[in-house]
Amino acid sequence: MNPRRRIKRAIERVGARTLDFLSAALFLWSVFAHTLVGTIRGKRPKGEVVKQMYIIGNKSLVFVGVTLGFIGMVMIYQTCLQFGRITGDLSRIGHEFAKILVHDFAPTLTAMMLSTRVGAGIAAEVGSMKVTEQVDALRMSGVAPIDYLIVPRFIACVVMMVVLSIFGAVVAFVLGGLTAANAFGVNTHTYFDLSGVNFTHLGLGLTKAVAYGMAIPIISGYCGLRAQGSSEGVGSATTAAVIGSSFAVIVLDFIISAFGLIVLGEGL
Amino acid sequence: MIIEFRDIHKAFGPKQVLRGVSLGIEPGEVMFIIGTSGVGKSVTIKHLIGLLRIDTGEIWFDGERIDKLSERQFYPVRERIGMVFQHSTLFDSMTLRENVALPLRKHKGMRQNRALREADKRLEQVHMGEFADRYPAALSDGMRKRAAIARTLTLEPEVVLFDEPTTGLDPVSARRIDRLIRELADTVGCTCIVVSHDLTSIFTISDRIAFIYQGRVHLCGDQDAFRHSSDPVVQQFISGQSSGPMETPGF
Repeated sequence: MNPRRRIKRAIERVGARTLDFLSAALFLWSVFAHTLVGTIRGKRPKGEVVKQMYIIGNKSLVFVGVTLGFIGMVMIYQTCLQFGRITGDLSRIGHEFAKILVHDFAPTLTAMMLSTRVGAGIAAEVGSMKVTEQVDALRMSGVAPIDYLIVPRFIACVVMMVVLSIFGAVVAFVLGGLTAANAFGVNTHTYFDLSGVNFTHLGLGLTKAVAYGMAIPIISGYCGLRAQGSSEGVGSATTAAVIGSSFAVIVLDFIISAFGLIVLGEGL
Repeated sequence: MIIEFRDIHKAFGPKQVLRGVSLGIEPGEVMFIIGTSGVGKSVTIKHLIGLLRIDTGEIWFDGERIDKLSERQFYPVRERIGMVFQHSTLFDSMTLRENVALPLRKHKGMRQNRALREADKRLEQVHMGEFADRYPAALSDGMRKRAAIARTLTLEPEVVLFDEPTTGLDPVSARRIDRLIRELADTVGCTCIVVSHDLTSIFTISDRIAFIYQGRVHLCGDQDAFRHSSDPVVQQFISGQSSGPMETPGF
């Protein structure tokens, strides 16, 4: 192939990829905007939000509880071990752990868990409806697919993310406390000290939970709506949803934490 | 003409599917669109209801150009043009009655109780009244297909698009679907556009047939025009021979 044609092909490939990326970004924005409008307008199937809250929230309780519980135990065990070697003072372990749990770990770790369970579920369900033309059938029936499929999951996910984050924080803190007391003899009255947690920490944690709760169904729904082909397309959409949601959680954590650090500074 | 496709082109990425399809459809006729798998038959009819957008060309419906309409502007068109999808596409979480009532509630703004009563009538028309409370998963393919037809007819559309309506059905169910399509055209005056590979259906109920090959309408005419065509590609399709001049995507 002559060099001129090779350069032309390379430029075409870059151009095509750029256009694909822009079109995907535009579609993601459109899903987000339509979901917000749909949420405000309140047009959604009756009882669907409650059903989704049960699926997203209640069915994730054990998963989130066990995961956050183990993480709480491991973190406290490791922290006590290291602090014991360096200073030998474990009196502020609970005080500091409570702060970091509330403003960061609880919502972020809960969201990481939900990105896998809920994100995959939403993408698989919406994706299989897309490839079997059920989404087209909804459009033919005069139903906006985003109102019907994404909005109820969006509302349910935002609410249940906050609830599960609080639940996860409590489980991790309590099991961490039991670990500290049993393995290192930390006084429980000293450990269960919530005086360090203030409204700033609560606000930051709540902001993160809401942001993650919004991001997971939007990204997963977007991946599902872009599914093509057959079961292979649904599989790819599911994988993309888990990766995309987890990535979004990490990026949002960074952005909101950085914002918190800049605005609140030493307050954290 | 109630529907007219004028030189439409459509590509999916690098794959050019339609390369200038031009086709007119008269009111009240049963028009079959035939061709090999992957040639763009379903793609062609989906443009008519805005489920896909053409790259270039024009689509006219009842004197109005519709290919440039927005999603919301397509809603009234979708009240007048219904579609029965290949896989029935009933919603699993709803009973048959609720499935059939959905377009009435959303398009016509009908109240739930009235929409459900109307749905019962439609299900009776396709002999599915006794299964109104069943969920789609509990029914056979043929029954689901009939319920999907009832859902499409519930808005009393002027045009109904059928995407491979007899695929996957036993011969008896397939002929019942054929009869239903013919009756729609004869008794209600509904225009029916049927995408199909089923030669029995094609040569039993069609008024006209459009054969799509290599992204264009290769031949359009009545049953006799197809039976007596000397075109080797058309003859190979009708006779179903594996060897011949026809190029099939993927083979």
